[in-house]
This record gives sequence, structure tokens and C-alpha cells, in this order.
Amino acid sequence: MRNMLVIFKKELFRVLTDKRLVLTVFILPGLSIFIIYTIIGTVVQTQFTEPEDYETKIYGENVPEAIVLAFDETMNYRFIEGGLTRDDLEEKLLEEEIDLAVIFAENFEERIAERDKQDLPDVTIYYNQGNQRSSSAHNRVSAVMRAYHESIIKDRLDDPADYHPYVLDTENIVDERSMAAQGFAMLLPMLIIIFLFVGAMSIGPDAIAGEKERGTIASLLVTPTKRRDIALGKVTSAALLSLLSALSAFIGIILSLPRLMVADEAMPDISIYGAREFLAIFLLLVVTVIFIVGLISIISAYAKTIKEASMLITPFYLIAMIIGIMNSFGADVNHNPLVHLLPIYGPINMLSGILLFDYSITNFFITIAANIGYTALFVFVLNKMFDSEKMMFSR
Amino acid sequence: MTDLEVKNIKKTFRLSRKQRRIEHTDERKRIAVKGLSFTARRGEIYGLLGPNGAGKTTTLRCISTLIRPDEGDIFIDGKSVLKESIEVRKNIAFLTTELKLDDFFTPNYLFDYFSKLHGIDEETMEKRKAEQFNRFGIDKFAEVKVADLSSGMKQKTSLAISLVHDPDFIIFDEPTNGLDVLTARTVIDYLLEMRDAGKAIIISTHILSVVEKMCDRVGIIIDGELKISDDLDKVKALDANGDLEEVFFRLMEESAGELAHA
Repeated sequence: MRNMLVIFKKELFRVLTDKRLVLTVFILPGLSIFIIYTIIGTVVQTQFTEPEDYETKIYGENVPEAIVLAFDETMNYRFIEGGLTRDDLEEKLLEEEIDLAVIFAENFEERIAERDKQDLPDVTIYYNQGNQRSSSAHNRVSAVMRAYHESIIKDRLDDPADYHPYVLDTENIVDERSMAAQGFAMLLPMLIIIFLFVGAMSIGPDAIAGEKERGTIASLLVTPTKRRDIALGKVTSAALLSLLSALSAFIGIILSLPRLMVADEAMPDISIYGAREFLAIFLLLVVTVIFIVGLISIISAYAKTIKEASMLITPFYLIAMIIGIMNSFGADVNHNPLVHLLPIYGPINMLSGILLFDYSITNFFITIAANIGYTALFVFVLNKMFDSEKMMFSR
Repeated sequence: MTDLEVKNIKKTFRLSRKQRRIEHTDERKRIAVKGLSFTARRGEIYGLLGPNGAGKTTTLRCISTLIRPDEGDIFIDGKSVLKESIEVRKNIAFLTTELKLDDFFTPNYLFDYFSKLHGIDEETMEKRKAEQFNRFGIDKFAEVKVADLSSGMKQKTSLAISLVHDPDFIIFDEPTNGLDVLTARTVIDYLLEMRDAGKAIIISTHILSVVEKMCDRVGIIIDGELKISDDLDKVKALDANGDLEEVFFRLMEESAGELAHA
């Protein structure tokens, strides 16, 4: 056990005193996530919010006075009067010289008043879906047209009150806490599993496959150190470093959330979770990271070079990523105890459960125990691999 | 009880597809060592002499517990390398010019690291470090990363680090391979000094002059078989002019003849 600590300290020293590794493993994940998510949030926010001083350019023909009045009330716009051919109109829409065109039939209001069902007057709206401002103008003009349509129907009824045969009220009695929890449960488990994997992938292969590739493993194997201690020293140090790397990514996510969520106007507040949830998440992260590091260590012990190890790890990373994405868009938390025995899926499902305040203690401990069990198996296999001359010295 | 006894060891390797292609052979297995036996004692240097691919490195790797013989056993101070490998490792050092040190660390850090792995207390570690670093002139580059050291400096560091635990048995595969004249001389002098201090030293080499300069006893290994194992003087005496090279080539020819008749 003493030698396990010696190897553990050496592996930490190796990474923590290497400026390049500190930058790539601990600083860049958090920093890059913060920058990327902040940029995404800013871009999305820009798309959803029209600048207040923007003047929507609407081309119109035969626009009824009532519609003009409705436009005046609902938007900041400038009318471009008629005279364009259909081709010119399409060109100006595509060139974004105008945002929308609305063409009313001649004598529109008079023809509506005539109520001739054989000769209904046309209204045609042209817009460019590829232009965000055009789409936005289309939504607003469509709303005005719906209101105009309703007002005509009301006028035609003997009693305008008949238009509303009942009163429909919709009240969103959302619990802010549950809404915030939904946001976290959708986003965090996927991101956490990805960053735990990325962190472990940047450290694990070098600690074992790197030693084989550099030829330094023989110096270690010829010392009176039990293979089990070598395996434990490598796995625990890589797990701690991977956890720190994931923590950096996690801080980056939390710091960038205010920018990322502003578009949905539902900025989740991490303070909805108490000490119990944080402790449960922490324990879950620890067992998940040791599982991932154990898996990566086995692959690294099998591989002859760091490159080969990275190549062999990639499919497992992709599977973990797919499981994470499926969880984000998936249904409810699965409460079947057997599901919690599954590697990767079990912890992701449990993490969602914790974030949604929808989990059982029994399932939590099943997840923890299963991952510890898998890791113990990995350490046992790794121990055997360190003892295998074929694994350690094959070229 | 003999200090070190190699007892009828056999070792077979599977040839990978890549190896078969390189060596233009259909053989799936290669017998590297065919029932090898010899002994070595404290206070002497035993040299395993043989051409490349004769099985020298495989034999030394078996002694150093890095690989396990398929048959037979090796006893060091009566302890089996198969059954008591951890105990054996406490009292052996395995060196090779191919043994690499991690480029990222300094000689100072690596000396401490391997000392701790051998369970050496702080006081003894510092005392030995001062002695060894002074002996090999490592003091001057003790805080320089291995990546920035010359090959000679690396070899001296490797030697010092392999001996952190002051073992009684030193196993050295091709001790002068790839070294410049000065470093080779330092290594040879050090091994002779260690022999005089009562250590058992086993080296492998294909260089006859190294054997003549260093060894008290010699074993000539050809094609995985030990053709002769005796005092250097007795082996040399097999030639009328006492020429080790002649003895070596005669054994090589005999071996080639046996193979041709087989």
C-alpha cells in the first residue's frame, strides 16, 4: 500500500508540475467551455431579440386603413409603397432590401363587405424564411391578419358576444424549482459524462501506455512493488486528476449558464440544490470517474502506444456520449434497480434523478456499489495485465 | 546453497504475424532458451557470451523476474523467482542500456522515487544519493530533466538509480552497448568495484574483449543452449593459444554443424 502512495504522488507530480499539462487538462476545459457557451448564448440572444431601433421594411399594395392602424400599434416599421413587379419584389426580399411584402386585392374592404363567396378577395404575404428579420416580420403581420380576420367575423355575427362561446384561461402554475431542475437535468448529465471522459482520456493513456511506449515500465516492474499497488496507484491518481479536470469544465458550465439560458428567460439557479444533492452528485462523480479511468487503464495497458490507446478508447467515448445525449432528450428517470447496475447509463440516469429530486436511496447505493464493483474488477484485471509479459513487453 | 542458480530454464515466445513476415518464417513459436543451467556467486562476474539472438537477454530477463521461464526455475539466495518474485526483487538490480528513464523527471527526483519504491528510509537514501551522485558526477546535472541529458549522463543516472537499494545481485544486459569510450570505462570500473565489494554480477555481451576484461567465469550461449560454462581461464585453455575468440568460433561452428545434421 505504501508503494501505491509513492506511485500516486509521482503521477500527480508528473501532471501538476507540467505547465503544458496543467493548461490543457485543468485550465482549458473550463475556459473553453465558458468562452464557447458565452458565445453561443450571445448569438442565440441576438437572434431572439430584435434591436429596439430596427425599422421593419414592409412593402404593401392596397393595404386597408384598419391594417395600417394595427401595424402602427404593434411594430416599428416603414411602409414602402407599391409599384414593384413580382420579380422585383422577390429580388428585394432575397437581397434583404425589404423584410416582407403584403399584397391586398384591389378594393379589398369593399369586396369583403359584399360577401360574395364566389369572389373572395386575396391577400398574399411574401417573406424570406432565410432572413431572421423577415421571419420575425411574418410572425407579427400574421398576428395582425388573424386579429383583422376575427374582427370581420365578429362584425358578421348578429350578436358579437356569440364569437366567444366560452372563456378559456390557461394558467402556468410552474414551480420555478422544478423548471430549473429540468434545465439542469437536461444539460448537466450529458456534459458531465463527456468531460469526465475527456479528462480521463487526456491523462490515463500517458500513465500506462506512455510508460510502455517510452520503455520506462520495466524500471518500475523490476522494483519490489506489487502489481496491485502499481494498478491502484495509476488508477487513483488518474481518477483524481480527471475529477479535477471535470471540475474545471463544471465551473466553466456554471459560470456560462447565465449567458446560455438567457434566451429561454429561465435561468436555472444552482442554489435550488442542497448539501444532500451536492454530496450525492459528488459521490456519483467519484465512482463514475474511477470506472472510466479503470476502463481507460485497461485499454492503455493493452495498447502498445498512447496513439493506439487513444484510438481504442474513442468508441467507448462515443458510446458514453450517445448515452448522455439520449438522456438529455429522453423521457423520465428510470427507477428500475437493474438499470442502475449498467455502467455509464446507470450513473447518468441517477444523476438526472438527483437533479430532478426524483431518486431513491436504494437505487443510489446500487449505482455506487455497481461502479465500485466494476472498478475493483478493472483493478484486478489490470493487476494481471501488469503481471503479463505479453502485455507489458510485446512490440 | 549457491548464491544464484539458474536451473534448466526454457522459454518459448510466440511470433507475431509481423515478426513472421520480417523474419520470412512460418514458425509460430520460437524457443529462445532451451534448458539453460548455470550458477553465479558473490564476489565474481559471470559473463553470458553469445551472438545476437542467442537467448542472453531472455535469460537475464528471467533472472530479473521481468518474464517467467516456461520450465525450470531460478533461485537467488535460495528464493525462487517464480514463487517469491517480490522478495527476489528486493535484492537484485536489472540494468540494460535500453532501460529508459522518464524524460520529464530529474535524476534527483528519480533517485528518491525508486528509493521509496524499495522502501529505503530517508537518511539512508540521502547518504546513498550523495555517494552515487558524487561517484558518477551526477551532482552537476541532478536537477536537469532526463530529456536534456546526454546519453552518457542518462546511462550513469540509470546505473545510480538501479542500485538505490544496494542489491547483492547486479544483472546487466550488454553493459557497454552504445556507450562512448569514457562512459563504457566508467561502467566497467564500477562493476569491477562492485565485484570486489562482494556483489554477484551477471552480464551478457557479444563483445569478447568485455568478457576478457571483466569476467571471472563465462558461459557461451548459442541458439538458446549453453555450450560451456566455466572459469574464464579454463574456457580459454580449450584453445592451444588461450584465445577466447577461437573457442567461441569453434563452438559456433559445432553448433552450426549440429543444426545441419539435425
